[in-house]
Amino acid sequence: MSDPVVGIIANPISARDIRRVISYAGGLQITERANMVLRILAGMAAAGVAKTVIMPENAGLRGHLMRALTRSRNAGEAHFPDIESLDMAVTGEAGDSARAARMMREMGVAAIVVLGGDGTHRVVVANCGDIPIAGVSSGTNNAFPEMREPTVTGLGVGLAVTGQVPPEIAFSANKRLEVEINARREIALIDVALVRERYVGSRAIWKTEGFEELFVTFGSPGGIGMSSIAGMVAPVARSDNFGRRIVFDRPDLAPFTVRTAIAPGLIAPVSIAHVETLEFDRPVKPSTRAGSIAFDGEREVTFAEGDEVVVTLRGGAFRTIDIEACMAHAAGEGRFVKQARPQSTAMEVRGGKP
Amino acid sequence: MARKISMKDAINEALDQEMQRDPTVIVMGEDIVGGTGSPGESDAWGGVLGVTKGLYAKHGDRLMDTPLSESAYIGAAIGAATCGLRPVAELMFIDFMGVCLDEIFNQGAKFRYMFGGKAETPVVIRAMCGAGFRAAAQHSQMLTPIVTHIPGLKVVCASNAYDTKGLLIQSIRDNDPVIFLEHKNLYAHESEVPEESYTIPFGEAAIVREGKSATIVTYGQTVHRSLDAAGALAKDGIDVEIVDLRTLSPIDTDTVIESVEKTGRLVCVDEANPRCSIASDVAATVAQEAFKALKAPVRMVTAPHTPVPFSPALEDLYIPSAERIGDAVRQTMAA
Amino acid sequence: MTATTTASPTRTGDNPFPLGKEDLLNAYRTMKTIREFEDRLHVDFGRGDIPGFVHLYAGEEASATGIMMHLTDEDRIASTHRGHGHCIAKGVSVHQMMGEIYGKSTGACHGKGGSMHIADLSKGMMGANGILGAGAPLACGAALAAKKLGHKGVGISFVGDGASNQGMFLESLNLAAIWELPVLFVVENNGYAESTSVDWAVASDSYVDRANGFGLPGVTVDGTDFFAVYEAAGEMIRRARDGGGPSLLECKMIRFHGHFEGDAQTYRAKGEIEDIRNNRDCIRQFSRHVREAGVISQAELDAIDADVAKLIDDAVEQAKAAPLPGPADLTTDVYVRY
Repeated sequence: MSDPVVGIIANPISARDIRRVISYAGGLQITERANMVLRILAGMAAAGVAKTVIMPENAGLRGHLMRALTRSRNAGEAHFPDIESLDMAVTGEAGDSARAARMMREMGVAAIVVLGGDGTHRVVVANCGDIPIAGVSSGTNNAFPEMREPTVTGLGVGLAVTGQVPPEIAFSANKRLEVEINARREIALIDVALVRERYVGSRAIWKTEGFEELFVTFGSPGGIGMSSIAGMVAPVARSDNFGRRIVFDRPDLAPFTVRTAIAPGLIAPVSIAHVETLEFDRPVKPSTRAGSIAFDGEREVTFAEGDEVVVTLRGGAFRTIDIEACMAHAAGEGRFVKQARPQSTAMEVRGGKP
Repeated sequence: MARKISMKDAINEALDQEMQRDPTVIVMGEDIVGGTGSPGESDAWGGVLGVTKGLYAKHGDRLMDTPLSESAYIGAAIGAATCGLRPVAELMFIDFMGVCLDEIFNQGAKFRYMFGGKAETPVVIRAMCGAGFRAAAQHSQMLTPIVTHIPGLKVVCASNAYDTKGLLIQSIRDNDPVIFLEHKNLYAHESEVPEESYTIPFGEAAIVREGKSATIVTYGQTVHRSLDAAGALAKDGIDVEIVDLRTLSPIDTDTVIESVEKTGRLVCVDEANPRCSIASDVAATVAQEAFKALKAPVRMVTAPHTPVPFSPALEDLYIPSAERIGDAVRQTMAA
Repeated sequence: MTATTTASPTRTGDNPFPLGKEDLLNAYRTMKTIREFEDRLHVDFGRGDIPGFVHLYAGEEASATGIMMHLTDEDRIASTHRGHGHCIAKGVSVHQMMGEIYGKSTGACHGKGGSMHIADLSKGMMGANGILGAGAPLACGAALAAKKLGHKGVGISFVGDGASNQGMFLESLNLAAIWELPVLFVVENNGYAESTSVDWAVASDSYVDRANGFGLPGVTVDGTDFFAVYEAAGEMIRRARDGGGPSLLECKMIRFHGHFEGDAQTYRAKGEIEDIRNNRDCIRQFSRHVREAGVISQAELDAIDADVAKLIDDAVEQAKAAPLPGPADLTTDVYVRY
């Protein structure tokens, strides 16, 4: 793709909820988030991306970014791509990320880099259509975005969108859960949890006594959050063609109890009635009759008797950029290595194993 | 049985005895214990000039070092006073009042009135005042007129160890906010102080020297300057009476007027700056209440309308000297 | 494509909320009382009935109510200039408040304080405050007293988004952290400090970051959502009582009226007030949730509405009829004893 534009959605309001006090979830200061954006930009520029577009916000990111970019320009450096702010109103709420993703999709960006937690990634995926995303974690539960130095994410994204890595290596297909509550449609990238609390309140879920049912797209024992429950009893990888459904029960009735890291610093027991495999494209009606539904760890919707709730796992629902694979490919091709003089041999590794 | 102790030790003793008597008394301030959080000794300083040394060993965490955060901790002391504690908070130098003035004059001073009599704020704010220490402009002011001016505050400034102990105990037991000023140049000054606890009521001046020729009204360090002046004046047959106000709010106007009615001459001596000073306050009151008793115009001897200079030569000119006080008395005799 | 179903698990419940029905009704009553009180003042002030200044809390009810429901008289709050909501939620008498606003001797402060200084120490209300940020050190003092006196009381400091820039507030964050005081700092962020926007005035735009910078955890909630406030405040107050130290809660909300009565609010966007009244009314939201859950009926809410209307009418009537303080009252209560 010639002259690809990459979008950046950095959520300034992630990592601010009640998990700061009911668990030991941290925060990420605005200045640090701004620095992460600069690191991504530096990586992308080094890989050949010249144009980026960013979601505006009023939370302090913009000032910090502009100062750094101005300083760099004034010093005659070419460290960063051009950056433009989307022309949209800022409300300071989750809707901003959704709107930004839609606008970027309409503009036809080559990829969107997302800085935030699971919630932010979810909102972007719900609105970005087929545009591939690369996730950088700066939220609370970071089950979806991989932990990686943002500079490298920028490099990987740049390699992918400039065609330096073949698309079949650069982009991965991902699963997601699609939930219908009557006419309303929601998605989740990692998990859909049904809990007994029938109010949205402070949104986070952590009271395990109220857990009713859980659907996951993937779950690894090394993960955090609801999906780690699956990870502990029936792990499923991002690349597997299925998911899991777990039904909970009262501790005195359930055959199993599992302890896992529900939130940062919070290891809690859950009582499991049974676990089943979730297949692609097979709608499931949850057995829970009333309560609220949390998507990727945040309560969003309440429902009661009479509401129609259906959960379906979809494969190949959205694309992510495989940073690891892009970097490996680029290194393998020697993309970042320059020979000082033409030589017949490739670089050799001396002494011992290659 | 009286023994002689310094004003500094009198303060320490008053705090100790009140803390023994009343578990709700707590003491806080910057370095009043000293060493908090540091690897060396606790009670490392016991106050910047050692006034509170030894109290931590006796009373433990009822003494609290504070961060350099006057508006927060003075405000906290005031808030705690409305909630059942009797805090004695140290504002190291009265000059620092600028950073916490709101909590003192808009909050603590006004709660009782604004809340219709339904609040009590038994807080004592101790602070060093006065010049002569070569501590320069931002550590040497009196600022007595400023705090005296505020309705709701009580203001104490003693001139000796005996008065200091009695008035500090009184201040702690008093249910109103008290600004307790300690003249830093008098910390080492000794006088006879009873070992037991005692109080001195507010609003009662002390006649430290009886006389017939003229009245000097003053407080703090200048009480001693006036006594020096009295010695020189006596040689010339001028017999001055010296009234030590001891508390500026409430102020003992009655004793002042009684003295003026006896002598007919008044010199007000004040280490504060001249505009709106305690000296001018007393002078105006006497002019209004006892005009007929005056045989001569009232004279005021104050610091000049300048910040406190650093150089010892200049600072010594700043503080009302025995000489200037004597000259003023002579002027009232000559008129 | 058939949906699979499984047998329903053996758990059911009537009331899904974390409060019982009685408490839900009380929450509604409190919020409604605040709303009616403030809206009535808005009208009466416009007519010229009320001396001085008033700063109205209408639109912000969920914050005061959601927090105060976790407190007893042993807990203390230090409020702001916009304090009527805090007073009512803390249990100060509506009649005494109205009397005070009218400057009558029957007022909570015998007419000596006025709207900005209403206090009732017997209810743990340390006063509305005309000096923004000044309440933060006072709340630290209340928490210090609780700790030293050995009871489980907490101090709550309310500030607005503007006052959160005041030195006294920032110093209090540090002091509370180093002394491990049971304080909850609540930043009621309604977007405007008088007429200037929080987006401009607060450089980091994140109270959580500020709190973190001072060594305490911070949480942000939608301040128009009673249940979000209730849940977060409950956890943070419990944490403080259990010796977990101070924390900061940012309630993002909106105010319906101006900074003060008489404020033309030209700094607001066109249609902004109408939009927030329609879409972000915390009482309407609460009412909808409890009715949809089938816990409380419209009739029960209507009954409370009628009660509250009567209460406010009565309070205004009595305030208007009450005597003004006399000349002798001018000089009383400066000191306990002078």
